[in-house]
Amino acid sequence: MVENSPLPLPERAIYGFALFLSSQFGFILYLVWAFIPESWLNSLGLTYWPQKYWAVALPDHLLIAVVIGYVLLFGINMMSTSPLNSIHTITDNYAKNQQWKNYQEDAIPALRDVPISEVNKMFFLEAPELNTQN
Amino acid sequence: MEEEKSFSDICGGRLALRRRYYSPYCREFGLSSPRLSLRSLTAVTCAVWLVAYGLFTLCENSMILSAAIFITIIGLLGYLHFVKIDQETLLIIDSLGIQMTSSYASGKESTTFIEMDKVKDVIINEAIYMQKVIYYLCILLKDPGKPHEISQVVPVFQSAKPRLDCLIEVYRSCQEILAHQKATSTSP
Repeated sequence: MVENSPLPLPERAIYGFALFLSSQFGFILYLVWAFIPESWLNSLGLTYWPQKYWAVALPDHLLIAVVIGYVLLFGINMMSTSPLNSIHTITDNYAKNQQWKNYQEDAIPALRDVPISEVNKMFFLEAPELNTQN
Repeated sequence: MEEEKSFSDICGGRLALRRRYYSPYCREFGLSSPRLSLRSLTAVTCAVWLVAYGLFTLCENSMILSAAIFITIIGLLGYLHFVKIDQETLLIIDSLGIQMTSSYASGKESTTFIEMDKVKDVIINEAIYMQKVIYYLCILLKDPGKPHEISQVVPVFQSAKPRLDCLIEVYRSCQEILAHQKATSTSP
């Protein structure tokens, strides 16, 4: 079995062609249902169709759903932002349970989450000449 | 010793920071926002009354006009009493605690006091607020039983929202006091 890669393969070509044919067929069927009068379809013997009202209503519903989706996504983003008094703006479970490795000479220090008090002291207490641009 | 300096908030409005040093290790910082301007008050009143007059010409019901006057008065009083904060102060007393006061435009004052045992540190934190990332000063609280864990975050100057230059000044002053408090505290 070939490893996962986006190469064109014979199976993929067959799937693509089958999808293409079925989507074209579905579109032609939708156009036939929407435009050809009920009486002509009945005279052909095809009587069991949904109401033609839905031929217009479904695309409308889809369009409004897409527009509402924009607003909804923006709203969900704002709701899931942590408020200013939340502990999640400062630390989380992984930072609380991290292990401390000992300092070794001439080695790159191990990666760890620096507590916010130390970060603040480094930024705001020790170098007054760097903060005059604010 | 009293000093007053002018800064700006995150939207560009003017703020006045007033520092008072009552004793070497007891300091107070007061941030005052500009008062309710006559221009914005007349603009809102005119807008509300124009809308009410428009509705009145549609409906021919004079109750709408009296309702608009009533709503304007009640809305103004509610805004002054519950929303518009004129001044926020932060008072740090070494070995006692930190007190935050907000005074509203109608004269109401609300105060919060935190004992020094519960204060772990005062920091400047960055967080996402609406569509911006802002710096704000906050007090980290600790549980006296677990001194190395942060139990709560209390932001200060929430309605004034000063910019980083003002926050750095307040932060440096607070850190001097906290360093002195840690040096002289007797932990059991």
